[in-house]
Amino acid sequence: MFRHNFKYALKTLFRNKTLIFWTFAFPIILGTFFNMAFSNIESSEKLSIIDIAIIENDEFKNNEIFKSVFENLSDENNKDRLFSTTYTSEDEAKQLLENKDIIGYLKIENNNPKVVFTTNGIDQTIFKYVTEEVTQTSEIIKNLSEEKIKQAISSGNFNVNYEEIYNRIVELTQNQDVELNNISNKKISYTMIEFYTLIAMACLYGGILGVVAINQNLANMSSKGKRVSVAPTSKIKVIVSSVLASYITQLIGIAILFVYTIFVLKVDYGDNLGLIICLAMAGSLAGLSMGTFVGTVFKANENAKTGIIISVTMLGCFLSGMMGITMKYIVDKNMPIINKLNPASMITDGFYSLYYYDTLDRYIFNIVSLLVFAFILITISYISIRRQKYDSI
Amino acid sequence: MTVFKAFWKILNKNKFIIIMYTAFLIGFGGFNMQTSENTTSYVATKPDILIVNYDEEKGITKDLIRYISDNSNIVDIADNEEARNDALFYRDVNYIIYIPENYNNDFMDGKNPKIDIKSTGDYQSSFAEMLVTRYVKVANIYQRMVKDEDELINKINDTLSKETEVEITSKLDTNGLSKAAFYYNFASYSILAALVYVIALILSSFKNKNIHKRTTVSKTHYRTINRQLLLSNCILSIILWLFYVVLSFILIGKVMFSTQGLMYLLNSFVFTMCATTMALLIGNLVTNKDAINGIVNVVALGSSFLCGAFVPMEWLPDSVLKIAHLLPTYYYISTNETLKTLEEFNFETLKPIITNMAIILGFAVLFMILSNVVSKKKRKIA
Repeated sequence: MFRHNFKYALKTLFRNKTLIFWTFAFPIILGTFFNMAFSNIESSEKLSIIDIAIIENDEFKNNEIFKSVFENLSDENNKDRLFSTTYTSEDEAKQLLENKDIIGYLKIENNNPKVVFTTNGIDQTIFKYVTEEVTQTSEIIKNLSEEKIKQAISSGNFNVNYEEIYNRIVELTQNQDVELNNISNKKISYTMIEFYTLIAMACLYGGILGVVAINQNLANMSSKGKRVSVAPTSKIKVIVSSVLASYITQLIGIAILFVYTIFVLKVDYGDNLGLIICLAMAGSLAGLSMGTFVGTVFKANENAKTGIIISVTMLGCFLSGMMGITMKYIVDKNMPIINKLNPASMITDGFYSLYYYDTLDRYIFNIVSLLVFAFILITISYISIRRQKYDSI
Repeated sequence: MTVFKAFWKILNKNKFIIIMYTAFLIGFGGFNMQTSENTTSYVATKPDILIVNYDEEKGITKDLIRYISDNSNIVDIADNEEARNDALFYRDVNYIIYIPENYNNDFMDGKNPKIDIKSTGDYQSSFAEMLVTRYVKVANIYQRMVKDEDELINKINDTLSKETEVEITSKLDTNGLSKAAFYYNFASYSILAALVYVIALILSSFKNKNIHKRTTVSKTHYRTINRQLLLSNCILSIILWLFYVVLSFILIGKVMFSTQGLMYLLNSFVFTMCATTMALLIGNLVTNKDAINGIVNVVALGSSFLCGAFVPMEWLPDSVLKIAHLLPTYYYISTNETLKTLEEFNFETLKPIITNMAIILGFAVLFMILSNVVSKKKRKIA
């Protein structure tokens, strides 16, 4: 009986086109959209070459430091290149600025550098900062040379080699290495969270399969349920085999989604395949338990039940960052209890901890939370479904 | 008027859909509108930095922290490494600086102590790195010459306080206009999803086999029925559009009273009309109520993701934008983006906008023709 019911439950689930669309196809379509929209975000957030102009008046031509610094920072062979510089007249620079070909231009007048922008922004801030750096460096050279010369003269040396002092100080300003040791994790691509919430969504949507499978065995939900209820078979066998069929269906869907996201969309889930599969299975179990819970505890029609699963899933995904990655962080930081109870967030956070952290404590915490979540809901479903009797339907 | 009345009755049953998409619009549109200071003077962009200081806060250490704080937003994060790592991953901070123990003393001894950092690698963090490097460089140079701590700090600050003069030429309220663009870009999703969903649902109710038979045998001419349906659809679209316009005035405020604001209204009106015709087409093509939900999600989410309603257009890959050219939403959003920085209004500057609107109207005509063809074919039932 168990096998018989299992087989037919599986067949009915796979033949329900709407169901298969929402649990199988929709996550894949959404993932494709995510990939199209987000694939460029992180690279466009990296500092790119800034287009600027410099007014090429006599004062600029005679200012060695400004000239060499901008020449160096605009050099195509320099790996720290910051700018693409056009040397031009003021009128032309204004025109370029208006056409948005440059973000701003620099003009040196009466020994006083001035930058002109149309709007504020990070590129503008950096451009201004670099011009200040040049001014400050000249200031240092001037200060130190004066001091050195003063020292030399006061120590009785009237035969000062100005040139040598100047060169030595210029060299000093140029050969300053600042040792910054970057200890950040190399895997810091935050758009991955979007795909993790997608998996979470697919896992929890699986609950719909659970609802449909359970409904077919409930006498008050379908005629088939009435037929099953009067059959002289153990109810637990029937229910468990239906639920198992929906779990298997769900796992097949998740497996397809994984294959698609890994091989086509190149999503990085970390290196430990075994742990990833464990998490996906625990997540699906949580989705399934939600399905059985809604299916057995709520007395409503099938549409209302699926509606509940979809709403809870979408709310959970929203809180775990699907519609804006920072949302998960905001909730985690300010109201951590919400995401500790939210299965979508447990799944997302589990993948995140596998991807970003080397240690496993956070991952294990998430897996255990999912299992506890599933256990509680399944227990409640079991209590509410056993020994059901109907006086009239 | 029976058809007209029936339309609004069915709409009333499905009003939850419109409420939901409007809630999305207010939620996301409003979420991005909290910062409202507008400036036409220069304001430096400040990266978000976290400083973890293992040294005593005195001397050079104290001054370095002061310099970084002046030029950035210092973010407060819980005092453990996991919270810091999370903050970095979710870009709550762009850059973390770990000042090592005994930094001040080691620095004064000329040891040029190494500083650990963590960085997100984006432009904010690049700028943060420039700040740290700059300070340490200047400090290192002076440290060779000046041995007294106070004098050294004075010299460093004296040098670092030299600023370049700035002039901002644009008089546009770019801040307000970007908000308006964001709101109207997102509205394309709400308009498209809500209209297509609701209209397709209502049309499918009329296409129910029994109802269809009943209307066919009634003495009302099918043209009258179609005219009444079309009229109700148009009224629904206009009401929805007006509602979103009023919302935009509430959420965005005074920028909407400019010429650009007027253009946003006009553009969204043209788009709403196009969305209505698209809804009619989908409503005529699909009669299965279960399928409508799926199609609406794919169409609305698809155009919104591909055309830049959620993610700004400039961040989308070129290949995606090429596909987006096939969708009316693309032209609607490009107009919104152009309006953001449009200062002068004349034929030359308005030309791209007019072209975009003409293309959207072209789509509307195309959808109209297609839906007529489809409905004519489907009129006969066995």
